[in-house]
Amino acid sequence: MDIQQYIESGKLELFLLGELTEREREEVIAMAQAHPEIQAELDALEEGMFAFDDMTGKEPSSQVKDKLFAALEKDFQEDTSGSIASNKTEPVKEAKVVKASTWRPFAIAASLVAILASSAAIYYAQKFYETDEKFTALVLDQQVMADNLNKANLEFEETESRLDRIVAGDFMRVEMKGEALPMQKDAKVDVFWDQNAQEVFVAVNNLNSLSDEFDYQLWAIGEDGPIGIGLVNPGEKFTLQQMNAVAAAGAFAITIEPKGGSESPTLEKLVVLGEVA
Amino acid sequence: MEEQEIIAGLRSRDRATTEYLYEKYSRALFAVISRIISDQTIAEEVFHDSFIKITRKIDLYDESKGRLYTWMANICRNKAIDKLRSKEISQTTKTNTIDDFVFGLESQSETKDHVDGIGVRELMDQLNTDQKFIIEYIYFQGYTHSEISEEFDIPLGTVKSRVRAALQVLKKNSSRI
Repeated sequence: MDIQQYIESGKLELFLLGELTEREREEVIAMAQAHPEIQAELDALEEGMFAFDDMTGKEPSSQVKDKLFAALEKDFQEDTSGSIASNKTEPVKEAKVVKASTWRPFAIAASLVAILASSAAIYYAQKFYETDEKFTALVLDQQVMADNLNKANLEFEETESRLDRIVAGDFMRVEMKGEALPMQKDAKVDVFWDQNAQEVFVAVNNLNSLSDEFDYQLWAIGEDGPIGIGLVNPGEKFTLQQMNAVAAAGAFAITIEPKGGSESPTLEKLVVLGEVA
Repeated sequence: MEEQEIIAGLRSRDRATTEYLYEKYSRALFAVISRIISDQTIAEEVFHDSFIKITRKIDLYDESKGRLYTWMANICRNKAIDKLRSKEISQTTKTNTIDDFVFGLESQSETKDHVDGIGVRELMDQLNTDQKFIIEYIYFQGYTHSEISEEFDIPLGTVKSRVRAALQVLKKNSSRI
């Protein structure tokens, strides 16, 4: 390789500026060791840089020096009067001991802080999760209550509107009883019928509950025979259950029918019967 | 004191050697940092940390891999660049330029009196525009040569040769300053 060309490549300058990769640095070092001209160029360049820096610089303020040497105080050897070379190995060892002993309290303090911080973190994390759970439970409770309130409101509105219609309408009451029939002697259901508005409500007074396969069905019996006008829920006692519209009927009756009701009544299972007065 | 003695003294944690090191190099090393960081307080902080690092990490210094001043200047330069790029400083300081720097130098009464040598202004005047540009960005703003190449779209080889030319001027004049 042409030495001059290598010197002029700019690599030496970048070497001094610390801008070469490790591999390139190794190369420059090897080249400098092999070629005195390159070493001389490096030295001259470094001197130039130092001279330039030294000339353009100003002293850092005196506090900086004081602070520095105060910080370095622990590092210095007690005995600096003796030959540096002769006790070279011993002091280095000692220096390490001194260093270790100054670090230990810091290390212990740091570990303690770390342990404290970790336990605090765990404690607060647990607190957080507990609180979070309680909060979630409260939110759920609150939702259930809101649902219940909504349901109650709806029921209340429904009841109110029915009451309004009962009060405002021209309803006649048809009592249906089971006394004369074999099924349920004590069964009693009232029909409220507004002939003008053709509206029908039933109110269960007493009716046995049924198994899941069966329903009570209300029939309006007119000139064309019985017409199914709705299913009656035996559980909802003393409330008004709205049925289908009926214009003309001579009597009302309830039979037990298979689930969902039938086209025509099963007369053997007639539970109650009431004639329109 | 020869470089070898300084190194041996530092390695045995000798106070006198450390003081000698400070007297001889603090001005130059502080200059390396001040070029990159204009805020005096922050520059002094970086200098403090760099000097501590130099004395404590002297065992890591390998004479076969370069001269002492190069090693120390690189520690200072890298610490200054790290600081410059940390968030702490980037918002508060404006970057130095050669002109600010030279002006600052000329207005500072504590700057060394160079009766025999040429001044920094004259030295800078010997650089052409391209060389000045390179010195400004590498020396004063802490760019690496590959960053300059990328940012200003100058081929890497050109950057290298301009760095060389600029440092040659410094080298030639080092005996005069």
